[in-house]
Amino acid sequence: MIKEYFILAVKSVWAHKIRALLTTLGVIIGVSSVILLMSLGNSARTEAANQIRGIGSNLIFVSVSDRQGNLPTDWISLIKQQADIDEYSPLISSSATYQIEGQTIDISISGVNEHFAYINALDMTVGRFLNEYDVEYNTPVVVLGSKIPDLLLPNQTVIGSKIIIKGIPFEVIGVAEERGTNFSGDNDMMVYIPIDYASTMSGFSSFNKTFYIAANSEENIDFTLNRVLTYLSTVFPSDANYRAFSQTQILGVLETILGLLTSLLAGIASISLVVGGIGIMNIMLVTVRERTKEIGIRKALGARQSQILAQFLIEAILITTLGGLIGLGVSYVGTIIISIITDFNVILGLDAVVLSLVFSITIGVIFGLYPAYNASKLEPVEALRFE
Amino acid sequence: MIKLNGVTKRYLMGDTVVMALDGVDIQIKEGEFVAIVGPSGSGKSTLMNIIGCLDVITDGYYELNEIPIKDYDQDELADIRNKQIGFVFQQFNLLTNLSALENVMMPMTYAKMSKKNREEKANQLLSLVGLSDRTHHKPTELSGGQQQRVSIARALANDPAIILADEPTGALDTKTGQEVLNTLKELNKKGKTVLIITHDVEVARNTNRIITLRDGKVTTDVSEVHHD
Repeated sequence: MIKEYFILAVKSVWAHKIRALLTTLGVIIGVSSVILLMSLGNSARTEAANQIRGIGSNLIFVSVSDRQGNLPTDWISLIKQQADIDEYSPLISSSATYQIEGQTIDISISGVNEHFAYINALDMTVGRFLNEYDVEYNTPVVVLGSKIPDLLLPNQTVIGSKIIIKGIPFEVIGVAEERGTNFSGDNDMMVYIPIDYASTMSGFSSFNKTFYIAANSEENIDFTLNRVLTYLSTVFPSDANYRAFSQTQILGVLETILGLLTSLLAGIASISLVVGGIGIMNIMLVTVRERTKEIGIRKALGARQSQILAQFLIEAILITTLGGLIGLGVSYVGTIIISIITDFNVILGLDAVVLSLVFSITIGVIFGLYPAYNASKLEPVEALRFE
Repeated sequence: MIKLNGVTKRYLMGDTVVMALDGVDIQIKEGEFVAIVGPSGSGKSTLMNIIGCLDVITDGYYELNEIPIKDYDQDELADIRNKQIGFVFQQFNLLTNLSALENVMMPMTYAKMSKKNREEKANQLLSLVGLSDRTHHKPTELSGGQQQRVSIARALANDPAIILADEPTGALDTKTGQEVLNTLKELNKKGKTVLIITHDVEVARNTNRIITLRDGKVTTDVSEVHHD
């Protein structure tokens, strides 16, 4: 029976091709915008998560404002006695501006120890990162972010060259791989120098410090973070002096925000689905009215109410499903276009395909039900009399 | 098989109550060939709608095949229309976007017959009414007489015992009208109970019994034993 209704519906839709297409336009726009925004949101989430994971693993970030010098230099060794810390690195930062051939180049300078590269999963393209001797003996050596060699040392052998930082010549010992931009800024415009050397230079704050601490396992992150927070609360008079959070927390917050944003956008887009649905209802009401006579004939010849209901409901579902499929096609083209014009990799997932079909069928059912019900309830005698 | 006792049908037209049928008593036995005649407004169309289970009575008693119609719900009435009654309308009432074959198949679809059986039966019926070469034509591609023959084939789809024909010749010229009446006669000879609703006494003369309605009441009910 369903097959017969389907064939009937196909014939009826085919008989009014243009009308059907115009009717589905709302559903097409609705489905494609919902799917596109969801795909975009999901890609943004994946991208953000990858960036944060790329920073390193099991990281805890601590930043303190220590004007009174409350924090002992070896405080992390104290934490190490209580929690399983893998490695850690302090970080102090400053910046420098270079004028080269009329071009202004701003770089960030980070004073770190030899563990920083390991903790942050920072790999070298050439040379090496700072080692313990560089840090211990305050050697004026520098590791460059990936964009810097071309800017400051064009057409030169990089390793072994010297760059001047705040008036002091530093020997380049390594170049880091490309990292992109994350919440700590453009990593590729950053240079790394030994921490204690940095602390003697101008422009580095003596009391604003950051610490990167790597817990030795994922399970230990929360425990270690708690230890850190407990310790800091005993050292500082107020919790305004310090902040500590883990990589997982950032990831969680970011995922929540992006997830919310995605649902919000998809929610707004789904308004157009509702509008599309109302369009369907409108046209189905017109169709039912136009075909009153047909309904009368069918009823006179023995169609039950449920059979008339099914006929018109299936027609509405067919129209919205067609709209959903076209909308899916539109959003597929949309993702390709977005992937081409931005370097964002937007993928139309299987969930989007399933979702668009579920959406369009649901819209068909919801907004087709009332007109179909009207059709099924027509009195045969009156419907037959309709011209 | 058809039994009406004191059947009354009232309906509202604006503010006024119209008494379409006013205490109608009719009994029709299986295999009869009956004409219900009367001027327009006499209630004959209402009577046909009630006998055909398209409409319900206000008062009285209507029994079809020994079962009171009041006992049936909407779905059961639809099934009765589907299987026990074949309708032939003045304006043919064929679905214009379907072929002759599909039109004839339609009542069988609602009877949940398989596609193969439907097609076979529909082809048979169209040959019976002499349209085996027109099965794939749309109604608009057929003459009035041909369309009415398609609708007779459709009326026979589920082998109903009763054929209800409402002014079956009303939209046809005299010659084709007579052909349609002859077809109905043939069906009656094969055992179908045939009811023709008409205002045309000439048409009524083709039948064996003429029931005259006026103002919702049966005025005469004459059985002609001698018939051509």
